[in-house]
Amino acid sequence: MATKTETPSTRPGNFDAYWNGVDEALARYPAAAAVEHSPRRSTEFATSYDVRLTSVGPYRIFGFLSVPRGLGPFPALLLTPRYGSVNVPPHFDDRQRYVVLTVMHRGQRLADEPFAAAYPGLLTHGIEDPGSYVYRGIVADCLRGAEFLRSLPEVDGDRVGIAGDDLAVATAARRPLFAALHVQTAVLLFHRLMEARARTSAYPIEEVNDLLRANPELGAAVARTVAFFDPVHHAPRVTARTLLPVGDQGALDGPEWLQPLAGAFGGEVERYPVTHEGGTDHDWIDAWMARRLGVEARPRVWSTE
Amino acid sequence: MKRGPADAHTTSVERPEDFDAFWAAIMAEVAAIPLNPRCEPVPLRSTPEVEVSEIGYDSLDGLRIAGWYCVPRGSYLSPPYPGLLIVPGYISEPTLPKSWAKMGYAAVGVAPRGKLRSNLHYNPGYPGLLVDNIVDRHTYGYRGFYVDACRAVDFLLSRPEVDPARIGVHGSSQGGALTVTTAALRADAIACGAAGAPYLCGFMDAAGLTHSYPYEEINEYLRLHPAREPAVRATVAYFDGINFAPRIRCPMLVYVGEADDICPPETGYDLVKALNCPVEMHAYPRCAHDAGIYWEMPQVEAFLARHLRPAAYELHAEPTVG
Repeated sequence: MATKTETPSTRPGNFDAYWNGVDEALARYPAAAAVEHSPRRSTEFATSYDVRLTSVGPYRIFGFLSVPRGLGPFPALLLTPRYGSVNVPPHFDDRQRYVVLTVMHRGQRLADEPFAAAYPGLLTHGIEDPGSYVYRGIVADCLRGAEFLRSLPEVDGDRVGIAGDDLAVATAARRPLFAALHVQTAVLLFHRLMEARARTSAYPIEEVNDLLRANPELGAAVARTVAFFDPVHHAPRVTARTLLPVGDQGALDGPEWLQPLAGAFGGEVERYPVTHEGGTDHDWIDAWMARRLGVEARPRVWSTE
Repeated sequence: MKRGPADAHTTSVERPEDFDAFWAAIMAEVAAIPLNPRCEPVPLRSTPEVEVSEIGYDSLDGLRIAGWYCVPRGSYLSPPYPGLLIVPGYISEPTLPKSWAKMGYAAVGVAPRGKLRSNLHYNPGYPGLLVDNIVDRHTYGYRGFYVDACRAVDFLLSRPEVDPARIGVHGSSQGGALTVTTAALRADAIACGAAGAPYLCGFMDAAGLTHSYPYEEINEYLRLHPAREPAVRATVAYFDGINFAPRIRCPMLVYVGEADDICPPETGYDLVKALNCPVEMHAYPRCAHDAGIYWEMPQVEAFLARHLRPAAYELHAEPTVG
């Protein structure tokens, strides 16, 4: 078990009340799932669907769903949305092994009516107030996706994994139904964000720098809001076995930077030192998730004849 | 899984006899359209060193194309500046190339049609763009998309602070493809290009080598419409980077991951074999669509600096993503 560590991001006093409020708001709306067969993305081994669900707002979100053909139940994988307007449908390799749901949160393509997210701009949209911050709804969108995935009769409830950035951590914390969590540490948005912003000028974190350069008086309010989303404060509720890829010393996914997060998880944490060889890293992480969920690994690095 | 060595692959791409005429007609059509450039400073995104502007210009079919323009402030670095076109990946948003501007480039991050802020009148979606009207070269989605990137060169040429003899282009994945097509279609203006994991090279070979998106869109399309394979093959030949390659005259840098499941390395090698210009190629074993960017980024910076001579070449850009 990982040891607990002091964290530089302060947990808001009303953290639990805030997130309980999100759960209550979500519970007020039925998912009203509309599941439509997608012939184009269906294959001889998996059937694909376009899914629409209601989240808080109310707001209609979208998902790519793929279900293996044959007798289930099957292990399942929830892929939380990336930072950007587009998420690709589940990969061919994953569709052969898992029920897979990729969520498009509010503002992303296929879930961009009536709200179309701006890039850059989404990260700071309403950031002055945690009650109206766009990520409150975005986390709810992911929670709704988790509930929907878990409700499918084809899903083996003991073998559900989740992968993504901060959204995956928050989802695994609020819906403790996952056996395995892969945190995409290289693209975390909220972990120690107010410190991270001083160390990078790369977007999307640069959005916060842009905002505070123009409006320095908002610094305290922004810090208050983003603390609700820092995965370090969600991690204690995570029961899933967790994988943290760890980058170079000094990097924003480096070992010392991630230490507070690694130490905060409630469940077992494994660290994987990334090689920066994309094929090597993919195959190691794929095999890790496959072991957790009881399926075969699907390495993508091929050997040469 | 086993495959032959990537560098031993032979492309199946054939160059249509009227390839050059097809593109000459398109480029003549767009040349007749006034650029109508707009450059609106965005103080929120600007820094003491770099002024950021939102730009717009007219392109093929009368579409208005958006982009970001990042240029060193005169108080930070004196003009003229080399121009640098940063071209986007398939699913990524056009970047604000502030870090390149801090190095001394007048840099444009272009949003070709269908990308956010350029999708009012054309919005095939993602997935979608790769197969949008793929049976007809005259209306295929990439016809205008390629031209929109080329028009960003005209935008740079319209700027008095830009040295017209020092304009480069760089991107990875679809950005690698646009680097190739822009260097070919604007061989008159492009001084060098750096293409990572070049996409849209050997379309049909690539679709046969991978099940990763975006090429999987072609496999899905042909599963539904197998009889259209000849029409698809005929169309994409007019848009294949391998067929654009012989037109490029400037120095090129091409880098690939030898385990890239998104843009198969075989097609990157096929591209390089088709180039007749000075070319450097770097291949990274066990790297995937990252194309070895962890090691390659300093090489990209050095290559561009060697040819474009920015004032603050000792600084570093944000790593390029596709």
